[in-house]
Amino acid sequence: MSAQAFLLRHPGVVRLGVVLLLLLIWEIAARWLIDPMFISPPSRVLASLGSVWQTPGVPAALRLTFFELAVAFAIAVVLGLSIGLAVGLQPFTRRSLMPIILLIYGLPQITILPIFILFFGIGAPSKIAFGVTHGTFPIIIAVVAGLQNIKPILLTSARSMGANRWHILRWVIFPHMIPSFFSGMRLGMTGVLLGVLLAELYVSTAGIGHFTTLFTENFDPTKLFGLVAMLAAMAIVLNEMVRRAELRFSRWR
Amino acid sequence: MATRDNQAQSFGSRLVQVGFLIAVLVLWYLATTRWGVNRLLLPNPVAVWQQLLDVLRSGEYLPDLRVTLTELVIAFALAMTSGTIVGFFVSRRHSTIRVFDPLFAAIYSIPIIMFLPLYVLFFGLGPASKIALGATISFFPIVLSTIAGFGNVDRTLVTAARSMGASDFHLFRYVLVPGALPVILSGLRMGFTIALLSIIGSETIASLAGLGHHIVQLAEGMDMARMFAYIAFVVVIAALLNGLVSFLEARGRRWA
Amino acid sequence: MTAGDLAVRVQNVSHQFGEPGDVQHVRALLDTSLDIKRGELLCLIGPSGCGKSTLLNVIGGLMRPSGGTVEVTGKPVRGPRPHDIAFVFQENALFPWNTVIENIRLGMLFQGVPKSEHEPRARQSLEAVGLTEFANHYPSQLSGGMRQRAALARALSLQTGILLMDEPFGALDEQTRMILGEDLSVLLSRTEKTIVFVTHSLGEAVFLADRVAVFSARPGTIKKIISVDEPHPRKPDFVTSEKFTTLRNELYALLHDEIRKTVTASSAGGLA
Repeated sequence: MSAQAFLLRHPGVVRLGVVLLLLLIWEIAARWLIDPMFISPPSRVLASLGSVWQTPGVPAALRLTFFELAVAFAIAVVLGLSIGLAVGLQPFTRRSLMPIILLIYGLPQITILPIFILFFGIGAPSKIAFGVTHGTFPIIIAVVAGLQNIKPILLTSARSMGANRWHILRWVIFPHMIPSFFSGMRLGMTGVLLGVLLAELYVSTAGIGHFTTLFTENFDPTKLFGLVAMLAAMAIVLNEMVRRAELRFSRWR
Repeated sequence: MATRDNQAQSFGSRLVQVGFLIAVLVLWYLATTRWGVNRLLLPNPVAVWQQLLDVLRSGEYLPDLRVTLTELVIAFALAMTSGTIVGFFVSRRHSTIRVFDPLFAAIYSIPIIMFLPLYVLFFGLGPASKIALGATISFFPIVLSTIAGFGNVDRTLVTAARSMGASDFHLFRYVLVPGALPVILSGLRMGFTIALLSIIGSETIASLAGLGHHIVQLAEGMDMARMFAYIAFVVVIAALLNGLVSFLEARGRRWA
Repeated sequence: MTAGDLAVRVQNVSHQFGEPGDVQHVRALLDTSLDIKRGELLCLIGPSGCGKSTLLNVIGGLMRPSGGTVEVTGKPVRGPRPHDIAFVFQENALFPWNTVIENIRLGMLFQGVPKSEHEPRARQSLEAVGLTEFANHYPSQLSGGMRQRAALARALSLQTGILLMDEPFGALDEQTRMILGEDLSVLLSRTEKTIVFVTHSLGEAVFLADRVAVFSARPGTIKKIISVDEPHPRKPDFVTSEKFTTLRNELYALLHDEIRKTVTASSAGGLA
């Protein structure tokens, strides 16, 4: 089989190979080429994951972060869905309010992170709040989009069979919105991850931010890489969960 | 037909929007002057306005603005060059697209800014870490849109050009680039926006200078009115930059 | 014809879209009258834009005509009549997020059929159209012809006296149309429904209909009604008979000029 055909048939394998190759480069660079104060090879990071976990306070901080992510996502979904429905079901509210929503969404929310911490403190509430503000908007936008562009023939057909307004809402408009809603949730999760992690990193006196600052100041790249890797794993898992949910609900497409 | 209704509706919508803005300002003013919301939490809008004028007049924003803009320009330049070049070469073969595109997309789906501490450890607290992280994050939308842009050029056009004797260069310049340009430009715009956001974000979290850093300093000094003014200033700068980039994108599309 | 034999009475119906002077003003129907007998299959045929679909929508209560009245089973039509009239549209009107059988059940839910009857009626109509094995498929998994069978099953399960079909086979290829046409004829010979069927196809009209109403070009009005005196179910060899050819030729003669008129009018860029 030619190289090209192999690549085409087994892209997953090749991707794994690329990742392994990058890890190898990282390993070589970290061991022999770069000052160990700034970088740590993956082998050592992997071996030290246990000691990172055993650093007092780290498991609690990770658990708290996960909790913040879950709560922020739940709130963002509920808020996003309700606001999206309230705005999107009537053309007038949609035309009046969507530009405002899009305007606020376009603002660089990162600039008000210090305000959130001042208002809500250095604990979980500020991280959750910051996550919610990042995650709600994509969901609102997706819900509003999903309520539009329903094929008129479907509405006509339902009407001709005697459907009343509630029937149409429940059996035509709502199901039409669902795929868009799920794709909005996927973006919402990305937003929640961004918001919560930004807030966590900013607060250097508690939570994850405390440990990233600690490991950085102590020039302990091994532990720092390990901690960040754990966060990355959390992000990947959460993203994947939402992605799977999206696929499950799009079977009819 | 329904155009008269439409006009009435648009007017009504505009009314709601303007009313909303006015309501926000009025509530803000009342909250700080009549309803006794703590000035340490929410400053008086008039005070914020005065501080903003002062900031602009004194030009104290200039050093920070210079730092942030320099970081942005360098980071974006790096991302743009590497992103378009890598994207182009990946797009040339179906096999490479199938291998790399999902990989890039997967990495892009997590908040790469969480790697900031690693960059600070390696590059220090200075501009280098912001530039490096900004370039890294900005790379992904650019490479993904470049792959998509070149990858989705209508094959029929390529075949037609070849049949007329087009050389590799002709093909690139007259078929591939114009075909891919709209998508690539949109990716560049996204890359720029995200570079700006990540740079301000990194400055907020771990920096010694820059606009994001200045806001944090004001927060720590509890100088609320001035901090709000600075935030407003940064928001306006961001909006101007984004507007500029959108304008360039539209111009670029027409050139193709 | 006594009132009891009449399923639908159309009296002087005319319809326009927009107001005179509007850019979008179209006079779709002009003073059209028609009596449709109970149990007959009437075809409406005519050039594009002659208002046959508009008339169908007016009969079905989906549209209020600018002028004239329609009575269905003796009562004036003021809106959709889900208990008397069921539709089959040309465009795919099945809900894509529901399976075939869910689509059928939903139709009955909308109409108000008691829950206990949903399953038996659904099964029955699926069998009638030959889709029993595809009950749990989604529309995206079915071919165009099967989707229209499913749409027909949904309409049948509503057990209305009248079935309005707006070019139901229009989006299908010739071979599928032929098969579905034959199956439809067999199916309908077993029921006593009144059917109004809009089509572009001369052969389809002659094959399926008891009577064919020929429309003029826009603004449309009924030019002539032709009777096809042939018992149902129509056999496939009817198509090759002399009677068929004569009728088809008569339709062709009536329509040809109207079609020409429509094509010249639209290429001149004018609206009625």
